[in-house]
Amino acid sequence: MQKAAFLVIIAFLAVSCNQANKETSTESTEVQQIVTASIQELLATPADYDGKEVAVSGMVTHVCRHGGQKCFIVAEDGETQIRIVPGGDIDEFKIELEGSNVAFKGVFRVLNTVETEALVEDFESQEHHAVEQSHSEAEKADYFVEAVDFKEVTP
Amino acid sequence: MNWRKWNRWIHRELGFLFFGMTIVYGVSGIALNHHITRDWDPGIITRSTTTQYPDALQKSSVDRNTIEKILEITGEKENYKQYYFPSKDLLMIYLKGGHITVDLTSGRIQTTMVRNRPVFRELNYLHYNKPKKLWTWFSDLYAFGLILIAISGLFLVKGWKGISGRGGILTIIGVLLPLLFLVIYLWL
Repeated sequence: MQKAAFLVIIAFLAVSCNQANKETSTESTEVQQIVTASIQELLATPADYDGKEVAVSGMVTHVCRHGGQKCFIVAEDGETQIRIVPGGDIDEFKIELEGSNVAFKGVFRVLNTVETEALVEDFESQEHHAVEQSHSEAEKADYFVEAVDFKEVTP
Repeated sequence: MNWRKWNRWIHRELGFLFFGMTIVYGVSGIALNHHITRDWDPGIITRSTTTQYPDALQKSSVDRNTIEKILEITGEKENYKQYYFPSKDLLMIYLKGGHITVDLTSGRIQTTMVRNRPVFRELNYLHYNKPKKLWTWFSDLYAFGLILIAISGLFLVKGWKGISGRGGILTIIGVLLPLLFLVIYLWL
């Protein structure tokens, strides 16, 4: 009986810690103005948008098969692409999003040199990246959007 | 109760409690390993068919009629979403549940339909910690439990078969093996 109670206490502590963490993160959330920008605008002056909450949309060209942990949207020029990674409560991007126009809300981030080098090294070490794809450049790029919300707008 | 009895109790009870979790992480771990090294996706099943477009195609000549014709050839008219050109020689038509790639120079049409792979999708969902929230804490608890199972396992048996004999040698080998892989693949 004592042993069973011990296990229950451990489980309870784990849950309590999670709740406390949640409250802290809610309190620290800052209210920021969302900047609506096209993909080209973001990429023209990335430093201006670094760390800002942005709204960006485009057709999803590819969803990563490795657990849907990134997707790519293409600009209206049909060529420029940007990487979107899930943040907030988004657990994954589903493959069904491919070919849909999706509006994303999230934080635009620019990686520093060390982070970019690590990203490129990781990219090049993956066997499935051996063939260059249309989204490869965006996959290796030092900028991306960490989405906290998204909505499929068409079709 | 002496410490050996406690040790055995911890090993046994945690072993029972985390049996399911070990299967989840074990099976999905194998699947994810092979996902990285081979062209096999544990989360999805893809089925591809190849057909041929009758005429030569160029990016500039592709219009809605061309798309309609390709959809007719492939029988995917009902599933059409959108199209775009990943490169000047490639046309990608997105479908509900898949996509069509057309090599413009050869007219080769490849239709790929994608669907979720049962069981593996669910296991990977847990392995990647996609539920987040409470699952993070439960899987942390499991990881902690696994460490306890490993440590308590060292002291289950006394004598030559235990940690002071053959068991100790096996333990050292088990620690050295991952180090050897690090030496070969990372540090050298």
